[in-house]
Amino acid sequence: MGEFGLSRGRVALRSAGPIAFGPAGILFVADNAAATVFAVDVADPGPAGAAGPFDLADVDARVGSFLGCEPGDISIKDMAVHPLSHNVYLSVQRGQGDAAQPVLVRISPVGGSVEDVALDDVPFAATVIGDAPAEDDDRLDTTLPLGDEGEEIQFATIKIRLVRQPIRTATVTDMAYADGTLLIAGLSNEEFSSKLRRVPFPFSAGISGSSLEIFHVSHGAWETAAPIRAFVPYDGGASILASYTCTPVVHFPLADLRDGAKAVGRTVAELGAVNQPLDMVSFVQDGEEYLLVANSAHGLVKIACRDIDRQSPLTEPQQPVGVPRETKDLQGIRRLANFGDSYVLALQADDAGRQQLRSLKTASL
Amino acid sequence: MTEATWSRSGGSECIRLAGVPAGADVRVFPGTVFPGTVFPGTVFPGTGGWPPMAGRLDQDGPDWCFVPRFAFLDGTSYTVMVEGTPAAVLVRARPERPAVTEVTGIRPTAAEVPVNLLRLYVWFSAPMSEGYAAGQVRIARDDGSSVPGALLPSEHELWDGSRRRLTVLLDPARIKRGLPGHQQAGYPLRSGQPFRLVVGDGFRDAQGLPLRSPAERRYEVGGEERRHVDPAAWALAVPPAGTREPLRVTFGRPLDHGLLGRCLQVRGPGLAPVDGTARTGPGERSWSLAPNRAWAAAVHHLVVDPVLEDLAGNSVSRVFDRDLTRPADQPRPARPVTIAFSPA
Repeated sequence: MGEFGLSRGRVALRSAGPIAFGPAGILFVADNAAATVFAVDVADPGPAGAAGPFDLADVDARVGSFLGCEPGDISIKDMAVHPLSHNVYLSVQRGQGDAAQPVLVRISPVGGSVEDVALDDVPFAATVIGDAPAEDDDRLDTTLPLGDEGEEIQFATIKIRLVRQPIRTATVTDMAYADGTLLIAGLSNEEFSSKLRRVPFPFSAGISGSSLEIFHVSHGAWETAAPIRAFVPYDGGASILASYTCTPVVHFPLADLRDGAKAVGRTVAELGAVNQPLDMVSFVQDGEEYLLVANSAHGLVKIACRDIDRQSPLTEPQQPVGVPRETKDLQGIRRLANFGDSYVLALQADDAGRQQLRSLKTASL
Repeated sequence: MTEATWSRSGGSECIRLAGVPAGADVRVFPGTVFPGTVFPGTVFPGTGGWPPMAGRLDQDGPDWCFVPRFAFLDGTSYTVMVEGTPAAVLVRARPERPAVTEVTGIRPTAAEVPVNLLRLYVWFSAPMSEGYAAGQVRIARDDGSSVPGALLPSEHELWDGSRRRLTVLLDPARIKRGLPGHQQAGYPLRSGQPFRLVVGDGFRDAQGLPLRSPAERRYEVGGEERRHVDPAAWALAVPPAGTREPLRVTFGRPLDHGLLGRCLQVRGPGLAPVDGTARTGPGERSWSLAPNRAWAAAVHHLVVDPVLEDLAGNSVSRVFDRDLTRPADQPRPARPVTIAFSPA
């Protein structure tokens, strides 16, 4: 792992956020509480092979059972699939508040066994999320900790322990690795902007990457920016399709992302009112590349990449659809990941909130 | 007969088991099953192929101790299975404590907000648990009914580092013009119709306790605000040189509470930062800086970060959604704006 600049040590996760695989089975883990992205050698036990169908009911309860808590104390933050072994990785928060503990869980697609991913003594690297508090933002919120965290301050003869935390934070909502670069989308807890951050990998000390704002135009009339909620590189990483919190689906070529340049994406579709994009994945069917978008209010949306390339920007206010798309009757899907060449793995919740893993055959999508 | 008790072993919390024969299959599951019953079905996790709780079994004298890999959680029951049969249930009680955490502020404090209000902040007196915002924060009408679909439904809650300040966004798809959300459902707010931001007492603090009481703030709703934030239009009350009286800046409209905390700076001669006590005025309509040292009789600059936004997400450099036909909506340079003033 020397070629990726990893050093052995303890990955001290403070929170579990989005995860994504990079080169050589390295897993990127966003830790929003620490404003850090870790690159972790997860030492996947393998073996490499073709992925067959895999369905696992009550995945939240199974993970909860392993971690010693009720399903309600399990929050699955994200899912990624190892590209060779197809082991399923879940980023999980166990418990809440001060008792919350971030855990990376690995589920074998052979038998559905659950284990936690070792983080105590593993090769890893880390980079600070660039939209974390600016150097000139000295606002800190000071609280009294219950434990021994924070720093000890002496006032006259009294010593007290204080924790100082930044007020401004950035929350990573999605990540993807493409061609030597980790792309990070995030939400600020203050300004409203659509920053997409690019961090070269291997990480270099002092280089936290660059970010730029990608605008999009609604119906040829209003240019606007909003946080990117989910995105997916496709066309070998040359193109990006991003879905925004205000629901337009926007295309832009990766080559457009030049430092300091104003980037305007092309709105190719909208996902509808009172709806949020949750995750996106690309897959190949009959030699053609397609994208799947998971939504909070609709079934899975399937879009052909060739239609995206052909689609002119949405211009008419009443134009309802944009790029041709097919809505699948698959509800409650929160996360998507490629599961070999023949399947897409979905993390799906039923009406009662119980979650399952479900492999969707790409030939049938 | 197996006897199970909470205990410690080797400095770790454990479940101590007495009366378990050596080599017995012992597993612990979260959840409650009555001891002595046999489970033929698949309802109970232990018989449904669910993994047992991760941990190890240490021998401690005549007893066995189950030491979990992940700490026992308050409020959870644990069932000990011996040879596939429930042998004991231990309940990890939640400590009884009074609820003391409360909402200490809801921003903005302006009495009236624009109909395209984008963001509010809720301050709590102590660190909070995540996962409750969607269920406990709502927009309500004066009759108490909720306004559905007003807030951005997000699995990503926006907290500050200490989880005491929650950022609440109204659904931008309903505020931005030209989007289906706005076209089909309109603004989440209505001009002339007051609303309240309500924080339910079911919101849990970091200790897992509810709030001492619910909280709310009521707002009148005005018209649209779609202009740039324009520092050139601000009024400065310049203090006399040689005093530590505050510089007062009045904006003409309310600005964002969170961004005001970091977007304004004063620089003195040589562009040295002027340290002092900064305060945001009532209704987020003004800002003041009382310097630690007396003002010099020289040119100073108020430096405005162009990301500074008003209540509707319009910033110094751009409006929230730019009407491409309106020259006034053109983006402005994304560099700091400076306003010179001279204490005399």
